Amino acid sequence: MRFNHNNRKRYIASITDQFVKGKIDRRTFMRTAAKLGLGVGALGAASMLPPGGRGGFISEARAQDIVQDPDMMAWLKEAAKPFAGQTVRLATESTPPSNAINSALKPFFEEATGIKVEIEVLPLEQVLQKLTLDVASGLGTYDLYYIDQSWMASFAGDVIDPREKYESSSDLAMPNYNMDDFLPALVDGISMYDGIMVGVPYDIPIFITMYRKDIYEELGLSVPTTMEQYLANAQAIQAAKGPDIYGTTGQMKSGHYSLECDWTCWLWAHGGSIFGPDGKFTGNDEAGLAAMDYWNKLKENMPEGVTTWTWDGQGQSVLQGIAGQALSWGEFFPWWDDPEASKVSGLMEAAVPPAPTTALRTETGFGEIPGVGHQGGSSLAVSKYSKNQDAAWLFAQWATSMDTQVYITTLGGGTGPTRESVYDDERVKANNRVGAGTTRHLDVVRETIASHMGSEPDLPEWAELSNDTIPVELGRYFAGDYDSPKEVMDAIAKKVDDIVSG
Amino acid sequence: MMSLSPTQRIIRALAAWLVVAIFAFPIYYWFTIAFRVEKEIFELPPLIFDWTFSGKSFEEVFGISFGYDNGAQQLAGGGNFYMMPRLWDSIVVAVCSTILAISIATLASYALSRMRFAGQHHFVFWILSTRMMPPVAVAIPMFFIYKQFGLLDTYTGIILVHALMNLPLAVLLLKSFFDDIPMEIDEAALIDGASRWLIFRKIVAPMAIGGIAATAVLCFIFSWTEFLFVLTLTQTGLKTVPVVASTFVTSTGTAWGNMAALGVGAMVPAFIFILMVQKNLVRGLTLGSLKQ
Repeated sequence: MRFNHNNRKRYIASITDQFVKGKIDRRTFMRTAAKLGLGVGALGAASMLPPGGRGGFISEARAQDIVQDPDMMAWLKEAAKPFAGQTVRLATESTPPSNAINSALKPFFEEATGIKVEIEVLPLEQVLQKLTLDVASGLGTYDLYYIDQSWMASFAGDVIDPREKYESSSDLAMPNYNMDDFLPALVDGISMYDGIMVGVPYDIPIFITMYRKDIYEELGLSVPTTMEQYLANAQAIQAAKGPDIYGTTGQMKSGHYSLECDWTCWLWAHGGSIFGPDGKFTGNDEAGLAAMDYWNKLKENMPEGVTTWTWDGQGQSVLQGIAGQALSWGEFFPWWDDPEASKVSGLMEAAVPPAPTTALRTETGFGEIPGVGHQGGSSLAVSKYSKNQDAAWLFAQWATSMDTQVYITTLGGGTGPTRESVYDDERVKANNRVGAGTTRHLDVVRETIASHMGSEPDLPEWAELSNDTIPVELGRYFAGDYDSPKEVMDAIAKKVDDIVSG
Repeated sequence: MMSLSPTQRIIRALAAWLVVAIFAFPIYYWFTIAFRVEKEIFELPPLIFDWTFSGKSFEEVFGISFGYDNGAQQLAGGGNFYMMPRLWDSIVVAVCSTILAISIATLASYALSRMRFAGQHHFVFWILSTRMMPPVAVAIPMFFIYKQFGLLDTYTGIILVHALMNLPLAVLLLKSFFDDIPMEIDEAALIDGASRWLIFRKIVAPMAIGGIAATAVLCFIFSWTEFLFVLTLTQTGLKTVPVVASTFVTSTGTAWGNMAALGVGAMVPAFIFILMVQKNLVRGLTLGSLKQ
């Protein structure tokens, strides 16, 4: 074949498109690409599909680094023989692990097993809508579910317990998979409901303290270890740097789950809880009102737009250099460190969340675990309605294996790994430097998971309460519809108790 | 008509340009976001003209190499953000559903315009009433029906649902266009021995071509921008632009540059389609404005 430059590019685009659509297999694609004179590196750019942070390309050099554990891939090849040709489908939020798998790693699994993987990437609310429709119909249109921790109880009856599957299907149990390697706090917080393991811990965004070290140094501030100090730092930054730079920022969009996430953080940090042991809403008690008072003071040091922002706006505000600190998702950190995307690359530092103002509450309801480090983890579950359960189970094990998690962590934009061993892996530690996909915040993430993590309650109604009821009323409060924190908290208490009691 | 003084003419021209600028500015700004470096997207105060060019978003979304940002040729078929196949999906769905809707609606509306049958008025009202039902009310039942018939996640399924969605509007619009063509023309042709089909094909349809074009544009735009049915009735097999645009909303923020690149790219097919029917469109939009 002889091609001029433009024709060659068009032909490459065409065969790559066919490969992406599954019209040609990987082998044919590689053979054709080789005829076009493309080396391994170029193939990396085309077919390993490495992400550049949030779903785009990654560099050829990084793509060439992908060499999955040969023992694991050999085992997968044998174990998957009966399922070759099957297709497994997953609907997921656009998170770092899902992006890394969809963009870069999936072809390795597909080539080894002959199982085709189709991943539908959607915003979180749409994933919930799709899953709800799937379980309501029982049609099994998806083989795997991405289950946010706030939905765990809602879907507990629609999945296969991975521990039972691992025990009962020994021929499909991946050697050295090591269930015990998952961080114990995460297994409790994002995978277990009522004695059922809903899914395998998949990713773990968690609230950590992140601050501008240049501003801290300039103003002589120290890393906050208490909530009072966190507020004082925000006020000091605002006073010295405002109005160009605000003391802190938020994700307080009315009716959005992000608003509920912020609220729980402040609530837990003041010794409060969402539910008491009797299953009644307790956000309107003394601790809950103290949290609202604190939040109002903090909000005075945030940009005006916070009441219209989800995590996107919050992340952008730091990225643009207009916020001095944030107690928010650790997932932001690699994005903020990316010099191509961020104005604060290399200026951010991470720390564990401040200590609560009073002792964390221990007597709560529905398995709620108060902690300043609010976690928003998710698990990967096999649908009990799936017609390709075994193939889906193989994929779930591969996607959450230690080896794959290492690549997810290094390629996927710095997600929080759910396995202990990944934090200690040399490849992960090698990314501990300023730049896109950095892992220099992961020690803080690990410590936060172990000692500061807060988990929302698990009850079937929680998806509705956390994604609708509570953030809608909180949004109304910040819009001025309620006269006092007491009034809004009482209103929420009534609504929540009505829903929970059915 | 009063003649305008030179000053009045200048003021009128300035006012016209101002209106054009107001409408064009959001498109211009969206375009610049598609081609600027990510860190400048939310720059305060906003950068209107003085922004730094970057082809990265386009490279990622369309697999087209500009060779600016990455220093090396980038290839199509990239990560989650590679949307070229999805743009093609949108084109196939919009074009096919428009052709299907217009084909059926033209025949149906001609019949409704020229023929009389018992309960016709109620029939026309029933067609209109199908537009009154909110799409969300039928999306979930459609999901179950489609799953049973194997139409889920297929071109056929989405083309059908978009054609069905557009049919009532198309029928009613085209009926009004046919109503404006005098019945006497049909009657004269009938006396000359022409069949109904011949009259429709050779006389009435060509006279209503402007109206058909205008209706086709509306059908195309409704299909091009439809969100709910595509979201509910597809998985990974196909997706149209409005639905995949939400892919750029990630857990660590929205990729606005990529979203703008897709938006700019998505304007092109719609623009070309409208350009193709523009001549007839103007006629169609003014057809019926004058009554006999």
